[in-house]
Amino acid sequence: MPEDILYSIRNLTVEYGTRAGPVRAVDNLSLDIRRGEILGLVGESGCGKSTIGKALMRLHEVPARITAGELWFDGRNLMELPAGKMPEIRGAEIGMVFQDPMTSLDPVESILDHLTETVLTHEPKTSGAAAKKRAEELVERLGIRRERLKEYPHQMSGGMRQRVMISLALALRAKLVIADEPTTSLDVIVEAKILDLLKELQKEFNLTILLITHNIGVVAEVADRVAVMYAARLAEVGTAEEVFANPKHPYTQGLLKSVPNIELNSAELYKMGGQPPSLLHPPKGCRFHPRCPLVMDICSKEEPEFEPVIGDHLASCWLYQEHEGRGSSERHEVHNA
Amino acid sequence: MIRVENLRKFFPVQSGFIASLLNRGNIPTVKAVDDVTFSIRRGEVFGLAGESGSGKSTIGRLVLRLYDPTSGRVVFDGIDLESLSSEQMRRMRSRMQIVFQDPLASLNPRMTIGQAIGHPARIHMPELSPAERRNHVMEILQAVGMNPPEAFYDLFPHQISGGQRQRVVLARALVTSPEFIVADEPIAMADVSVRAILLELMMKMKEEFHLTYLFITHDLATAKYVCNRIAILYLGKLCELGPINEVYSHYAHPYTRALLEAVPVPDPRHRRTEPMPSGEIPNAINPPPGCHFHPRCPIARENCSIQEPPLREIRPGHLVACHYAEELLK
Amino acid sequence: MPKNPVETPEILPEGASWEVELNRVGFVRRLLMARRWYGADWWFVAIGGVAVVAFIIVALFPGLFAPYSPFVQVGPPFLAPEAHVDMPVLIVPKKSSVKSLQDLAVPPDANRPQISVVEGYPTAGALNTESQKIDEQIKDEPRGLRLRPVIDRYPSLQETLHAVVDGQDNASVVQESQFKSVAASFPSLREAAPIQGGAFSAGGFILGTNDIGQDVLSRLLWGTRIALTIGFSSSIVSLLVGVPLGLLAGFGGGLFDRLLSLLMDSLYAFPGLILAIAITAVLGPSMLNIIVAISVLYVPTYYRIVRGQTLSVKEEVYVEAARSIGARRLEILSQYVFPNVIQSVAIIFSVNVADAILTGAGLSFLGLGLPPTMADWGIDLARGQTFIQTAWWMITFPGLAILMVVLAFTLMGEGLMEIYNPKLRER
Repeated sequence: MPEDILYSIRNLTVEYGTRAGPVRAVDNLSLDIRRGEILGLVGESGCGKSTIGKALMRLHEVPARITAGELWFDGRNLMELPAGKMPEIRGAEIGMVFQDPMTSLDPVESILDHLTETVLTHEPKTSGAAAKKRAEELVERLGIRRERLKEYPHQMSGGMRQRVMISLALALRAKLVIADEPTTSLDVIVEAKILDLLKELQKEFNLTILLITHNIGVVAEVADRVAVMYAARLAEVGTAEEVFANPKHPYTQGLLKSVPNIELNSAELYKMGGQPPSLLHPPKGCRFHPRCPLVMDICSKEEPEFEPVIGDHLASCWLYQEHEGRGSSERHEVHNA
Repeated sequence: MIRVENLRKFFPVQSGFIASLLNRGNIPTVKAVDDVTFSIRRGEVFGLAGESGSGKSTIGRLVLRLYDPTSGRVVFDGIDLESLSSEQMRRMRSRMQIVFQDPLASLNPRMTIGQAIGHPARIHMPELSPAERRNHVMEILQAVGMNPPEAFYDLFPHQISGGQRQRVVLARALVTSPEFIVADEPIAMADVSVRAILLELMMKMKEEFHLTYLFITHDLATAKYVCNRIAILYLGKLCELGPINEVYSHYAHPYTRALLEAVPVPDPRHRRTEPMPSGEIPNAINPPPGCHFHPRCPIARENCSIQEPPLREIRPGHLVACHYAEELLK
Repeated sequence: MPKNPVETPEILPEGASWEVELNRVGFVRRLLMARRWYGADWWFVAIGGVAVVAFIIVALFPGLFAPYSPFVQVGPPFLAPEAHVDMPVLIVPKKSSVKSLQDLAVPPDANRPQISVVEGYPTAGALNTESQKIDEQIKDEPRGLRLRPVIDRYPSLQETLHAVVDGQDNASVVQESQFKSVAASFPSLREAAPIQGGAFSAGGFILGTNDIGQDVLSRLLWGTRIALTIGFSSSIVSLLVGVPLGLLAGFGGGLFDRLLSLLMDSLYAFPGLILAIAITAVLGPSMLNIIVAISVLYVPTYYRIVRGQTLSVKEEVYVEAARSIGARRLEILSQYVFPNVIQSVAIIFSVNVADAILTGAGLSFLGLGLPPTMADWGIDLARGQTFIQTAWWMITFPGLAILMVVLAFTLMGEGLMEIYNPKLRER
């Protein structure tokens, strides 16, 4: 595994058992997370992005199961580890920040206790005093005043709690932080501050962050690279600038056009037809084809591969791949958003 | 068309028996809405924006008299709502409706779609026979894009998708042909790709039914696409009010500036230039004295913590509540 | 690779728009798949449900299942389960052609048959009962025969049997075991048909008899009717009183709510049985009074649950929506609040019935409530108490019956509750 890739997800498939049959929330997905980057994983509800977040830490419980794939974290395939070994990795090497910190923080533990306990659990050799000191420093770095350490989660605001969650992830010096909709429940000003904080921390601690969100604006603000998910599959991956400036996949194009941009003076938002597909009976061929304005014959018959279009910019779309009835000499010009 | 004057709504804080004894009757209150005055013109989309604790949802309900104000009045089409008896107010409701944020929660899980939409018709249009009423509901279902309407009439809310539910809630609001609709974060719970469609639907309905909207939102970017005028709220007070393009480009209140700056822009080349105000939104039980925003305001002076700034017109049609608003306009 | 994930119906991945499809899964498929999904709970409901239905059928038609009448003596007292009944038998000379008692009938003017019995044994009673019965049957027949035997009593078995040998009596009636023990010394006598009457029925007693010779099984089966009647009636009455009150109190609030809640909480604070005892002591013993007493007991339960649910449903957005469209309060209560509240009621009803049956049995055990002539489990329990050492079956089987009925209803109710509220399970 190349040095610069921290987490390599290969052919991951996660299935849920439901009363109407098995559902693949993540379907044969491969993605690399590079060291030191912020990778934004963006998609709408039901596309499977949160499922990936939990799968990376093997947090799923029955009825969700990882049925295929390899999770190469820092040179080790996590799928080969016995389940009992995973708690050591969780927290210590991979930290997670959830959407609603109220339910993830223990309501009867003060923040200080929470932090010190976390440190001591994973690094038992640390002395109590050292752990406390580390917790205090960390929390201050995150913008919480020292005096507030003794408070309980319900006494803090949403933004504050989110900072605590981040500090928990950092307390153990995790290599990878998975942030699942970290700012969705926050007001917009607090959100901006948390996003700034994440960027600072990334530089300071050389963190790698996987930011999962449905908010395109958030991704544009902090992410170095962007991965767009649609219906349990990846539609597009590339650097943030590339993907926003030259989106290749029609879904990404539509998505970007339908998001309101406060800086622009355009009169209308783009309306994407149809609705996200059912994962119980996904459409045959390319999953986006029922809603695609550039749909071709082949799209309803066969699924396109997830391949590079230009350099590191990948997309799964027949527009850029050879197929029957079209020579490789024709390259469809994609109009920018 | 709607005039809100000096509206106040204070909610008493639930405290234990002993605590209230100790306080000797001084019950602490959450000052959700504190002296708000504005008017909504017929046919416009009036935006009401703010973060949590700003009081925007409360105002929405006060305007429809789902809550009773602690003081102040709401005048609808020249009629002071307080002067109405409860029966008259009930009848008035056919003219003013609300679309809630969470469509699943605002639909009775035990009522079919047809029944839910038909209920306002049953109350306010008793002259219709059941068959006529059913037809009317079908028409409305078609108008909001649920085709074929017969397929949806007998379904329950949990049997249709989120986007469809939002249409149903809109249909229910339209069935009595109201003049005024309060939309409380109507698209917040919808998928991103579906939001534009819902907004377009709402605007189309506005045209067809000659509606006036009070559009409550926290998303300033969306507001830009639909609102004619906008009011910015902070901790129960109005900060700024005016035509939306005017306010967005010539903001006069530091809070408005912060809000506009904070909105995430879907363009990675865009970088924020202004720092965010320090701290977080304080408690609405004990808001800061004077201008509520002063502890976080980058241009706050001594005056700001003493004297509350009045809402004044700074440019034509553009009102602001800040002592030093002129500085931002420069 | 792991096998197919276990299917459960309620846990879904994030914000899926295809939940809609899930919700359209048909009822039949749900029924069929229920066993796999709900595991133990399905078994609870299935077993409990089947048992409840069985009990209901027995309660409706006890006569179909009970071998004997529960009110009269049908066998010797204190007969152990499945014990052999020592029947009185007709003993006749070998050369006589008499096959059964009926054969001793004679024309009205002829000599009445003479039958010897041993003094002090209940055989005379059986003989009398049976003769009278046969006499009634045959006296209207054209032949006009009558059976009115003269009963000669002898102090000992030997003398009784000798009387037949000597010809003084036409036949003798002694118990089977008695005859068998001396049959060798009376080679000229033989057994004819047994006498079935009064305290001696030839059919077996599967669960034995009680202290006055009543069949325990029959009493159990007939007792089911009483138990279930009490259980269902009192639960229904409690429901009819408690649910509306809870609705009104929760919805209306204010002074009404406060006062009513105070009253209900006071009632609730009483230990159930004590309160029921107090009420029946005042009202007097009868089925109706027991039902009233137990109903009062459970009204607070329904009240509290319905009131709690009403309070939370009242805050739901769809109730606010109902107000916003101008619905009247009564409309809101009946169309928006009530339908969303009763589902919880339906489920606790089952458990409530179980509890009511238990309380009812307790009351009659204490001698309150039901007149002692009725065939009721509680009464049987009380009776069996004294004989627990000698005739353990008198108290054991009624106890088991109560246990099984209560278990059946509770299993069904709790199972339904688990299935219906899977969110509680999940978290």
